[in-house]
Amino acid sequence: MSEIIEKRIGRYETLLKEMWTASSKYLGTFSVNLLVERVVWEVSLEYKEIELLQYDQNGISCAKMAARLEENPDLPVEDMFMKFITRYVEILARLLGYERAEEIKKKLDEEFAGDLSASREE
Amino acid sequence: MERLITGIKNLDYILGGGIPAYSLNIISGSPGSGKTIFVQNIIFNNARNGLKSLYLTTISESQLKMVRHLQDFEFFSDDLLGDRVIYGDLGAVLRRQGASEGLDYLTRMIKEHLPNIVVIDSVKVIRDLFPDEKTFRAFVFELAAVLSIWEITAFLVGEYEEQELTRLSEFAIADGIFHLYGQEEKRFQKRYMRVLKMRGTSFQHGEHLFQIGPVGIEVYPRMRPEGEELRYDVKLGRKEFGICGLDEMLCGGLLEGTITLISGATGTGKTMFALKFLLEGAEKGEKGVFLSFEEPVDQLQNTARCLGWEIDKYLAEGQLEIKFISPVELDVDKHAFEILDMIGEKKVERFVIDSISSFESSVTDIQKYRDYLWAIGQQLRRRHVTTIFTVLNEDLFSPLVVSRAQLSLITDNIIILRYVEDNSSIRKVLGILKTRGSNHDNSLREYEISPEGINVLGRLAKADMLK
Repeated sequence: MSEIIEKRIGRYETLLKEMWTASSKYLGTFSVNLLVERVVWEVSLEYKEIELLQYDQNGISCAKMAARLEENPDLPVEDMFMKFITRYVEILARLLGYERAEEIKKKLDEEFAGDLSASREE
Repeated sequence: MERLITGIKNLDYILGGGIPAYSLNIISGSPGSGKTIFVQNIIFNNARNGLKSLYLTTISESQLKMVRHLQDFEFFSDDLLGDRVIYGDLGAVLRRQGASEGLDYLTRMIKEHLPNIVVIDSVKVIRDLFPDEKTFRAFVFELAAVLSIWEITAFLVGEYEEQELTRLSEFAIADGIFHLYGQEEKRFQKRYMRVLKMRGTSFQHGEHLFQIGPVGIEVYPRMRPEGEELRYDVKLGRKEFGICGLDEMLCGGLLEGTITLISGATGTGKTMFALKFLLEGAEKGEKGVFLSFEEPVDQLQNTARCLGWEIDKYLAEGQLEIKFISPVELDVDKHAFEILDMIGEKKVERFVIDSISSFESSVTDIQKYRDYLWAIGQQLRRRHVTTIFTVLNEDLFSPLVVSRAQLSLITDNIIILRYVEDNSSIRKVLGILKTRGSNHDNSLREYEISPEGINVLGRLAKADMLK
């Protein structure tokens, strides 16, 4: 895998893994898995490639996504991931209440320098 | 917290504003307790507000029967079927393909329709499809997780007996439990509901009466004595009877917002004293309501006319309202709530219940009767309504008995009317036993009811009333 693709995907994979960990504190891994499944289904109505996201109760991986990106560098991964994250946080906020969702968002923002805020403002 | 408004009369009030959104609720009760109508009423009310419901049956053909039975209710609407209320058969999938496929079917249906509410009727049938408790528990756990992740408020309907509610695993997973049941009380077949659990919100405990009528379900919240100390502004104004001698004995009338018990044997004039109190208020522009369980309105009108009182004028003007409820039809659970509703709506200042003895006869146990009166009394005091309860003392010449149910504790003022024997004639005597927060005349005074009205006369030399 090229270094560029690894970098493009790696950033999102880290973000998704952090989201997974942060939300499983409140929802439990079983429900987090279900939530990812829901968001994947919703985003797949626009971006079919999101189904390449691999997840189970042990965690989340973007390995298949990276492989596809190798074949098709024009894949709009940034837009797709941002839609995924935005939707995930929206649902989380309704399930947990905005206060807890804000805590999670704040933690992610600190680690990813405002990426998440930018995604929610879109 | 976001809530699902049930739209059922008084239910949202009991629940502090509605059912917490995305919660999983079990509706339990024996066959015929009203479970299906209860959830159907909720989903059709919500359908009218634009929410979508998925109703999954687990017994073949039940959908047809259900829709047929619902057609007579006002909440039902054909137009909402298939669009806002969607039916599916989960039972067939589970029976033929097993639990895992059942959940897949549910998820497919959710993705297809994106419902806000999901109902599974009956979950008890599903339980029987599983080989053991462990696998059923796993299924319910997954079910609950799927429904909450999809932001769905769920209702699982089941024919559970009360003793099962603490034992079966689905109740541990449930966020809310509504238990519906019926019982025969005196001449009524009554339906009750209890909210046994409701995570994330406070709710009113205890049994609440509900009725199934043409509009659907109507709940009458339990009348309960307030847990906290009763606090209300004490008013120092007085409300007169307009009966000269009596108002003098009361040092100017009844203190505003107090509750007075008028106790007396049959024919002593309790009703007339109470009615005069309202007419006096009406003359001063104060709204009064007379709730009669003993005499119909026209009979009361006739008697008042005979005493020269302008009852027709005040009835026509709306200053006075007389509501007659036959004691045969009296259902305290329902009427106590309606009384307070009416008082609030009409801004009533003077209120009479004639007589509370009729209340007593329709309640199964005396403690419940006292609780009702205590609760009503508290609510009336809070609203500063000056109230009279009349009570029948069945023994004409007995030593003094206010009432058998020790109601004197509930009231602020007590006026006793009774007969006395004097020189081979029967006379009527009244006495004031207590007036809370005020002085009163301790004498026993003779009174007469004549075409000129009620006249309180002088002291009776030897009445033996308190013997």
